[in-house]
Amino acid sequence: MVRVSPTRGGQPGLRGDKPGDPGYEENLAAFESRVSRGDKVEPGDWMPDAYRQQLIRLIHVHANSEICGALPEGGWIPNAPSLKRKLALIAKVQDEVGHAQLLYRAAETLGKSREEMIEELISGKAKYSNVFHYHAETWADVATISWLIDAGAIVNQTMMAEGSYGPYARALKRICYEEAFHLTHGYDMCITLATGTKLQHDMLQDAVNRWWKPIMMFHGPGDKVSRHTDLLMRWRVKMKTNDEQRQQFLKQYMPKIYQLGLTVPDEWEMRFDEVEGVWRYREPDWDEFLHVVRGNGPASALRLRTRKMAHEDGAWVRRALQSAAGQSAVGESVAGAG
Amino acid sequence: MSDTQWQIFEVFHQQVRGEPHVYVGSVHAPDPEAALILAKEQYGRRQASVSLWVVPEDAITATSYEDVDMFDHGTDKSYRESFGYETTKRIKSIVADRTESRGEA
Amino acid sequence: MSTGTTFSAAGDIQGEERSALIDLLYRLGDDDLMIGHRNSEWTGLAPILEADIAFSSMAQDEIGRALSYYRMLHALGEPDPDTIAFTRAAAAYRCASLASLDRSDWAFSTVRQYFYDVATTRRLALMADSSYTPLSQFVRKVGGEQKYHMMHSRMWVVRLGKGTDESRLLMQQAVEKAYPHALGMFEATEWDAVIAGSGIGPCEADVEASWVEEVAEHLSASGLAVPTNVEPTYGGRCGRHPEELGCLLEEMQKVYKLEPSAPW
Repeated sequence: MVRVSPTRGGQPGLRGDKPGDPGYEENLAAFESRVSRGDKVEPGDWMPDAYRQQLIRLIHVHANSEICGALPEGGWIPNAPSLKRKLALIAKVQDEVGHAQLLYRAAETLGKSREEMIEELISGKAKYSNVFHYHAETWADVATISWLIDAGAIVNQTMMAEGSYGPYARALKRICYEEAFHLTHGYDMCITLATGTKLQHDMLQDAVNRWWKPIMMFHGPGDKVSRHTDLLMRWRVKMKTNDEQRQQFLKQYMPKIYQLGLTVPDEWEMRFDEVEGVWRYREPDWDEFLHVVRGNGPASALRLRTRKMAHEDGAWVRRALQSAAGQSAVGESVAGAG
Repeated sequence: MSDTQWQIFEVFHQQVRGEPHVYVGSVHAPDPEAALILAKEQYGRRQASVSLWVVPEDAITATSYEDVDMFDHGTDKSYRESFGYETTKRIKSIVADRTESRGEA
Repeated sequence: MSTGTTFSAAGDIQGEERSALIDLLYRLGDDDLMIGHRNSEWTGLAPILEADIAFSSMAQDEIGRALSYYRMLHALGEPDPDTIAFTRAAAAYRCASLASLDRSDWAFSTVRQYFYDVATTRRLALMADSSYTPLSQFVRKVGGEQKYHMMHSRMWVVRLGKGTDESRLLMQQAVEKAYPHALGMFEATEWDAVIAGSGIGPCEADVEASWVEEVAEHLSASGLAVPTNVEPTYGGRCGRHPEELGCLLEEMQKVYKLEPSAPW
């Protein structure tokens, strides 16, 4: 897209976007006043470089998480135990790939190309969500991920859809709509397993036990540990702290977990504090969390290897279509007979 | 040759005949026809659709948000809006005057 | 050829026509299930995000159709769809070998999909006036969806056929590999004459003839050589399958068989 600004020179939006640059303070004040009014920031707008970089990082990690999140569940598509489950699981994983597509695009509007972002993912330079660094070991893991991790994601994404960056907020609106199907389907799978045979119930309980740690870590380090939160909240890059999101998730889902006759591991010492109206739990080991998201989780190496292989195996296809596009009349043969 | 993700096409979508095409998002595609075929599943797999358009992203020329003040109106433009006129009030007053003068006669 | 009789519901069709219909529906359902299963293996792993999304829809459409054909079978007194899909031994499936072969690379998967789409389009067109009303109604409903399948797979064949030397070579190899199996889709069963005679569906030779013609035209237009003097790979329609089907079934039935009598 070419933005025309006959009145000023240079690339719009990029001038004086670092502290110390001429005009920075004045631009920043106008930017912050717009954001605090709840106005959206759009591509091409002036924005502090730090805002741009934070958003690129955040959306990039989110996009990576969708495409890496497609792997543990995608791996179970061939094993789905009924035709309806098979269809729904394909549709769910397809949505995740679709979400990655929408999110990479939103990040691209901030000036980073999809080539670059995918390259950084497969080289291990860019991060993705902690939960996808673990293996999906049984069918019940698929149900657990689809219910509880998607529930956690919805808490996060519904909040982020109110954020200040227009293209990200727009993408998230659609993503939330689709996640609602994932959550319902996941819940439906969990209800079936929880109320099924002993084997099915035990399988689900085992999955919840193994996934509880990654789920408790999913919203990120606690507010005492997490840095930058104030600035990000002022710029409406983030709308709630990690602990607030975790509380919201627990309030909504702990009762539902118990309702299915499931428990969470004792070691977490989960209890509802009636006085304060909050869930109490043992603080997760945030060093372990950081270790995992830096690529040292049980499935980290496999995830990157799979993504790298898929990317490399597809290179000849991307090249061929790029080349075909340069030739004329290639399209004429598609619409014809049939 | 460098490994590209293909060029960007912007996608416009019409839900029913009679409605305008609305911008829904983008696809990376090698050419316009492939863009349509790929956009159909990314943007039409749930929503009802009767028509899709794709436009190469670099074919779009846009205003800059920095110039958003050019959309402001410097002077009163109510003369080109219906709310700029008080016909109802005026006709009521005319009718009232007539009734009054008839009553006097 | 058709006798002109219409069978408006499962209860109206008896005798050899019923057996012929059941044979046809198993072939249609099993083909769709297996190719759908193979195509679904690309979900999350295709060459580019946009292609991934579209290909995944192919898989969903195909498995969705399999479910519909199995429901028709269930109405005819066969087991329920999941029992049909998940419990049979390999020899009881009636899919053509084309549908069950490994997904291999993108060249093979797109060529296979193209060959399959042409056959499906032709078959659906010839079944739109099927004398078995539930089948003709269903076929008319999926016509539009199939039109998109055709645009999609024609696009891949011509783009990759005319792409680079590398892509042309890979596509040509895929064509050579898939072609005999594609001809295997038209292996006539003992019910072929009854199916055509009763107007339930087409005879396989008719579908094959129009398939060969259309495929030759599009392959040539895509810069690909049309294989000649090919010996068809038969067997699928009578339960003789490549080893790949056994592996596929083992994967597909793995979780189901943990608790075969329970809902999942």
